[in-house]
Amino acid sequence: MKIKIISYLKKLVVLFFLLIPNNLNADFFEDITSQIVENPKRLSYGVSVTDVNQDGNFDFIVTGFGYLNLALSYKNGKLINIVNQKKFSDEFRRTIGVAACDMDKDGYEEIYFLNTDTYSGTKKYSDRLIDLDGGNFIDLFEIKKNQKDLNLTAGRSVACVDRKGDGKYGVYVANYGGPTRYYEYDKKIIVDKSVELNLAKITGGRAVVAGHIISDKIDIFAANERGANFLYKNNRGKFLDVAYEYRVQDIRQNGRGTALSDIYYRGRLDILNGNWRGFHRAYVLKDNIFEDIAKPPFDEPSRIRTIISADLDNDGYDEVFLNNIGEPNKLFKILDDGLLQQIPIDVGLEPDGYGTGAAVADIDNDGILELLVSHGESVDQPLSLYKAKVNPNNKYIRIKPLNKHGAPARGATVTLISNLRKHSKTIDSGSGYLCQMEPVAHYGIRKNEEDIKIQIKWTNGKVKTVSINELNQTITLKQE
Amino acid sequence: MNFSKTIFKFIIIFFFTLSFSNISNSEEKNYYKDLITDWSRIFPDSNRNAAGPKFFKYIIDKDINYKDFIEYNKLYCAVSGSLIDPNSDPDFLFISERGTKNKICGNYYKCCIPCSCDIMKYSEVERMKYKFKDGIKEFFVFTIKNPCNKEDFPNRVNKDYFCVGEKINNKQVYDLNGRIVIGLLHNGKSCKKDEIDFVKSHEITGRFCEFRNNTPIENLEAGMGDIFIKLAR
Repeated sequence: MKIKIISYLKKLVVLFFLLIPNNLNADFFEDITSQIVENPKRLSYGVSVTDVNQDGNFDFIVTGFGYLNLALSYKNGKLINIVNQKKFSDEFRRTIGVAACDMDKDGYEEIYFLNTDTYSGTKKYSDRLIDLDGGNFIDLFEIKKNQKDLNLTAGRSVACVDRKGDGKYGVYVANYGGPTRYYEYDKKIIVDKSVELNLAKITGGRAVVAGHIISDKIDIFAANERGANFLYKNNRGKFLDVAYEYRVQDIRQNGRGTALSDIYYRGRLDILNGNWRGFHRAYVLKDNIFEDIAKPPFDEPSRIRTIISADLDNDGYDEVFLNNIGEPNKLFKILDDGLLQQIPIDVGLEPDGYGTGAAVADIDNDGILELLVSHGESVDQPLSLYKAKVNPNNKYIRIKPLNKHGAPARGATVTLISNLRKHSKTIDSGSGYLCQMEPVAHYGIRKNEEDIKIQIKWTNGKVKTVSINELNQTITLKQE
Repeated sequence: MNFSKTIFKFIIIFFFTLSFSNISNSEEKNYYKDLITDWSRIFPDSNRNAAGPKFFKYIIDKDINYKDFIEYNKLYCAVSGSLIDPNSDPDFLFISERGTKNKICGNYYKCCIPCSCDIMKYSEVERMKYKFKDGIKEFFVFTIKNPCNKEDFPNRVNKDYFCVGEKINNKQVYDLNGRIVIGLLHNGKSCKKDEIDFVKSHEITGRFCEFRNNTPIENLEAGMGDIFIKLAR
């Protein structure tokens, strides 16, 4: 009798460890905020990732709302602000959205700072478009020839769009209470082409993403407030709103954080879309209609701001980080078949955090993504920096596509093809809410995964496939 | 020994349940979310004024069982066409049954207090039978007369939703015996005397409605007021 009971107890112990739910696996993240040098309380908003100083490494750009815009660079184990020039830092214009891309085809990513000094409608100060001239940051909108179409409407997010697939980027500006803008070089002058491209709609613009969503060219999805979302299909470089046909108008919800994500690991980009105190969506394309497959707890209403989809722990499955403001953050893992499993977090929960933006990048080049979270709006708070606690046996591969001008090919789609999955990621054009991620497709490698190939679909729709023979590296792919 | 086995099985089930509780795969319907999601399909022009009939038609055209039908019909206002928050409380009221003039009592889920008065005065109820996934069911529905030949059809209502010429547009709204179904009377049944007394003495369905329903339309300042009344009278 006693032996049998002991035998049962042993089985119970084994079962306990086998079936132990993830909510007992606390601390997905490690808090590495201390790496940020000089991290005072401040009002921050959007975060972007680009190579600000052309040293070959990515930097975090953090916008300041009545505070300095920062360029945080990784040096000697610390994140330190490397820019202290007025045009860039711009303490007084109240920057909120940010995205970087190469608009003039010189290989360097210009930085679009969306300033907003009012909630809606006409604003006092225009946006800034920062370029690096020698060692000096200049605002291209301060040059007289570029001042014809300045944006003087309150706005939120910006995203970069290579609409013709030729490496000449334009910037979609999601305005609030005024027409959407689309800035692009035309005969060496920066002009607003929103009317010509059918983009000049008036709405409560909030978030915007761009990539291969429904065509082989760069499409745009804009999540709006107090109005329908837009889904712009690229039609030879111009755009046609097909949100109604694809059932993503979601007119009763107020859009916020949005990201492109391969929710089914099937080799295409679908849409994750958070709604302010509304149902969060996981739109997957089925028969030319986006079906929302989100269910509780993922879809439960929250005070959502940024949404990020990325493989933070290098296990080959993407996590989805939901950054809430004045409410705890949430973390999910996308399992096979689109199942979203909540990962309980303690570190990174930020129950009192006023999250306003976030971005991921492997800022220290160790093969693991860092997650930078900004805070502000109504409460000044410092930045937070997290990193997943990664199993040291996990491997990774990072794909960094550069277009024919040598600039990050934002909007291109990278797909990892193996015996276990076909997993697409966008080279981020602008996403989350007010933010933009590093222009790299970062993949953790699954257990027993082999025969790995990488396929890239460039912004012009052309596809190239390369085999991967060695893991744990960043591969730069150059467009021919 | 049997006790130990039982405990063992219980623990297995417990941990299995716990393991999957954090996976976003609930099969439970979220009726409110469904209506939010499909709102653009129900109202392509975003005009939901007095468009309760559009909700009713959308719901009854779904491939659903009777329970789903009931739950969906708690979430919109038959008078205004607006969505109603889940878990809202209905008003208990009575309505005249078409043909018999009997008073039928039941619950009405409303978006505003005057809506209860308007529906009591300007609609009638009729029995309706319908085959759902789980069988044929009978229930009471609110109906209004065909408004399509009105010269003063309210211009804030999308007439195309309701009419094709002078006929009811039965592709967009439900046509029951030549009248438009605007919503469901929940738990409808013939009234008992004490129920009629309750409705008449209630501060909303009694006193307030008596005041409202004796106010000229041009003086109405609350609820959908003249829009629904102009459509339904």
